[in-house]
Amino acid sequence: MNTEWEPQLVGFLCKWCSYGGADLAGTSRKKYPPNIRIIKVPCSGRVDPLFILKALQLGFDGVLISGCHPGDCHYQTGNYRARRRVAITKKFLEYMGIEPERIQASWISASEAGKFVEVVTEVTEGLREIGPNRLFDEQQQQNTTEAAA
Amino acid sequence: MNSNNKIQQKLRHEAGALLEQNKVDLIIGFEPGSLKFTTTPLITRDKGDLDRLVINPFIVNNLAVFLPDIKGPDLKGPKLKGRVAIVAKGCDGRSIVSLIQDNKVRRDNLVILGIPCPGMIELRKVEKLTGKDRDELDDIIREGDKVVITVDGKASEFPISDVLFDNCLGCEFPTPQDYDILLGEPTAPFAERSAGQARILKGISPQERWEFWRREFRRCIRCYACRNICPSCFCQRCFVEESEPQWLMPVPRWQENLMFQAIRTIHLAGRCSDCGECERSCPVNIPLRSLTREMYDLVDELFHFKAGMAKDAPPLMTHYEQEEAKDLIR
Repeated sequence: MNTEWEPQLVGFLCKWCSYGGADLAGTSRKKYPPNIRIIKVPCSGRVDPLFILKALQLGFDGVLISGCHPGDCHYQTGNYRARRRVAITKKFLEYMGIEPERIQASWISASEAGKFVEVVTEVTEGLREIGPNRLFDEQQQQNTTEAAA
Repeated sequence: MNSNNKIQQKLRHEAGALLEQNKVDLIIGFEPGSLKFTTTPLITRDKGDLDRLVINPFIVNNLAVFLPDIKGPDLKGPKLKGRVAIVAKGCDGRSIVSLIQDNKVRRDNLVILGIPCPGMIELRKVEKLTGKDRDELDDIIREGDKVVITVDGKASEFPISDVLFDNCLGCEFPTPQDYDILLGEPTAPFAERSAGQARILKGISPQERWEFWRREFRRCIRCYACRNICPSCFCQRCFVEESEPQWLMPVPRWQENLMFQAIRTIHLAGRCSDCGECERSCPVNIPLRSLTREMYDLVDELFHFKAGMAKDAPPLMTHYEQEEAKDLIR
């Protein structure tokens, strides 16, 4: 059995664009890392900062939020609001000591299967580099410093 | 003290006139507390209570916290009702404006009695400076940018910046942004502002920062004092009390405590006026202002937004610009 650690990524994809993009990637038989677990949301504006932190607390190594390109939101402004939320969440959690690489956001339209593959691959590889999420482990800091040493 | 006395006289006079002319139903201000050098909020409908109102360098509380619970005169309900006259320092004033922006309070139901605030004195700093317990001090008198502390009949003078709260030393707007009556002359902020202890984490690595908060939040007992005292924490039902889904367990494990405070601070984005009440109310002295101040600076840096500056402006999180924060998104 392969016991090597694999990054676990949770993706909140908007129903109108990014989920379609992921779907297209699948139907066009494009290959992307199986490390992402997709959760369909009605709009990227649905993503509460609480979801992001909860995913990290549950032990996911990273969170990807993806929605329609600016101006393309099905609900007109949802992705703009998501952008503000993601921006402060990412910056603020960085201040608390969470690596900013763990919180990622992207705009992927329903036709951009290629971009979806690219983003998921990049994010997964990025997570592989920074290592497992031990933020909420009881003994996390000792472990990360030992791993670094 | 003299100027405070003058302001105090004026406050009592104005509050009396407002009640007499039936312009307001309630007065919210400060009265002397049960302990030395403390004050406590006073909410009254009675003109006879007004000579208990005080203005001194210890009126630390942010009275805006009461406003969301007070319903307008036209609304039915068992809660406190009526038009309100409220005493507001600079930061309290901004909290009030922020509540107006969020539609939690109606401006027409409010009379804001603004106080140009020269900063509040932190007793802990005084105790540290004099090495005495607050009960052993005879008097603390502010004179301009000096403070005179009398211990055992002996008076000694210190610069005022030694004893003010950190958030007062970093205050940008000591005079309320919106008021009906200003008691006294507008004051200027300190020439040399400092964010004080709030910058405790600058220059250390992310791992060390996380380690720091992990340690701090081990102490948290989840009393929710920070939430209850915060004027911007006005949710009818806080996310920590939701049970389906249950986001957080009520047990005070550091993981849950840290997550609670992180989300609470994110909810304060664009609302927090850096009044420092959360940190003051914390029974285990967690440096909460370090988080709220970071959020305060963050929304300013990212969106050029300062909380509670204009009552007609939309709240930060309901608004957007076409071009912003672009580099954070792939």
